[in-house]
Amino acid sequence: MRAITKAVIALALLAGPADAQARPDPMRDASLQAGTISQTDPMVALRAPTEAAPDGPAANAELGGLPDAPGAEETYYQCVACHSTDIIKQQRITDARWDELWQWMVEEQGMFEPDPETRDVILAYLKTQFSSER
Amino acid sequence: MVDKDGLVVLSDRPLNAETPAYLLDADVTPYEHMFVRMNGLVPQSALDADATGWTLTIDGEVDKPLELSIDDLKSRFENVTRALVVECGGNGRAYFNPGSSGNQWTMGAVGCPEWTGVRLRDVLAEAGVRNSAVYTGHYGNDVHLSGDTEKDVISRGVPIEKAMAEDGVIAWAMNGQEIPALHGFPLRLVIPGYPASVSQKYLTRITIRDREHDGAKMTGDSYRLPAYPVAPGTEVPEEDMVVMTEMPVKSLVTFPRTGTEVASGSPTEVRGHAWAGDGDVAAMHVSVDFGQTWQEAQLDPPPNRFAWQRWRANITLPQAGYYEVWARATDQKGISQPVTTPGWNPRGYGNNMQHRIALIAT
Repeated sequence: MRAITKAVIALALLAGPADAQARPDPMRDASLQAGTISQTDPMVALRAPTEAAPDGPAANAELGGLPDAPGAEETYYQCVACHSTDIIKQQRITDARWDELWQWMVEEQGMFEPDPETRDVILAYLKTQFSSER
Repeated sequence: MVDKDGLVVLSDRPLNAETPAYLLDADVTPYEHMFVRMNGLVPQSALDADATGWTLTIDGEVDKPLELSIDDLKSRFENVTRALVVECGGNGRAYFNPGSSGNQWTMGAVGCPEWTGVRLRDVLAEAGVRNSAVYTGHYGNDVHLSGDTEKDVISRGVPIEKAMAEDGVIAWAMNGQEIPALHGFPLRLVIPGYPASVSQKYLTRITIRDREHDGAKMTGDSYRLPAYPVAPGTEVPEEDMVVMTEMPVKSLVTFPRTGTEVASGSPTEVRGHAWAGDGDVAAMHVSVDFGQTWQEAQLDPPPNRFAWQRWRANITLPQAGYYEVWARATDQKGISQPVTTPGWNPRGYGNNMQHRIALIAT
């Protein structure tokens, strides 16, 4: 499903005028929304996509089911100090929202802030694996 | 999650779990089907069901600060029992696109148990609310995820007018039993019509403030909406985010379960509940043709204000095949539920889109 969605986006980019992306169009958003189709529950197709990409990295059971990719281990040990990986795996958000969430966790929620290098690794991982943008 | 039945766990630490619509059919939501929304960890006092020495402090902009035991509450104020809807402000978040951060609730972060306690208004009146009062601030003894005992997990409040309305209760019982550990033992607020986060669990203190409360999850983007309509995915400056108050009108189809087979050509009962953030629901409609035509459902009056209301409709599916039932409630102001998500917002609050179920006619 995700591969088809990407193909549709690519076609839209090729076919549309230069401002097709900049001009808001709720009909385009509606056509891209469909994640999983269920013949027994019409609410399922209305959800924003949350399933893991079929061609993406496999879930690592030893890291709370996080997708096995560079940064997974750093992310796991940073996050599970406070909460399980369940809340991470539910997210499909923008890069800007991940930056804000990081800042909120440090400033408001008492999260230990790692060295800048580790922080960058973790944020890059989150923005890659749990993104609404890619 | 002991004795919870059929809930979908979204997160195990902190614990968050929602209820599939078909398990919410009862008029009064039983414990086993009541959703769980924890911002932090259940305090040890609740796990041990130990309320020894528990007190509720009322302070701030009042003439006479109070420190009340649970027995004081029970004996000094009129006891009331009311069915009140409790709904997470983020219920329906999963349908916003692009996604927003937080638990991806679908339709099931809502329930309507019976709460027994005293009116919040009566207790505040006893303390003597000053003219300077603007807002409440609520505190509980739940445990912050970081383990920092100085940090409040969540401390929200409501405008003083809402607190002094007759509907809010300080409750010690849910469905006639001590409030279970997951739902706020031994004392909680239930202030209906607002996001459930104002209905503080494990309640220890209500402070009356001379300005909007600034406790944990009152500020930033928490339980806030943009002050103006924004396109999906917009980054909204923090100063343009305003505190969410009344929840929008909403309904659920609780029977039959989605995907059920029914006989074509003869009437089938569909039913559910409807509720609204500013009081009662005015009308209920269902459609079996994707919203092209609507039929009015029977809508029962609530047992008390802010309880959800039972609705029923007999529908006839003309021939064998796939149908969807769409349900739409209308509030007292004439405002109905939208077909799709209402205004996108950065944290995904207030989604009251119509609930749909599938029926397979045979």
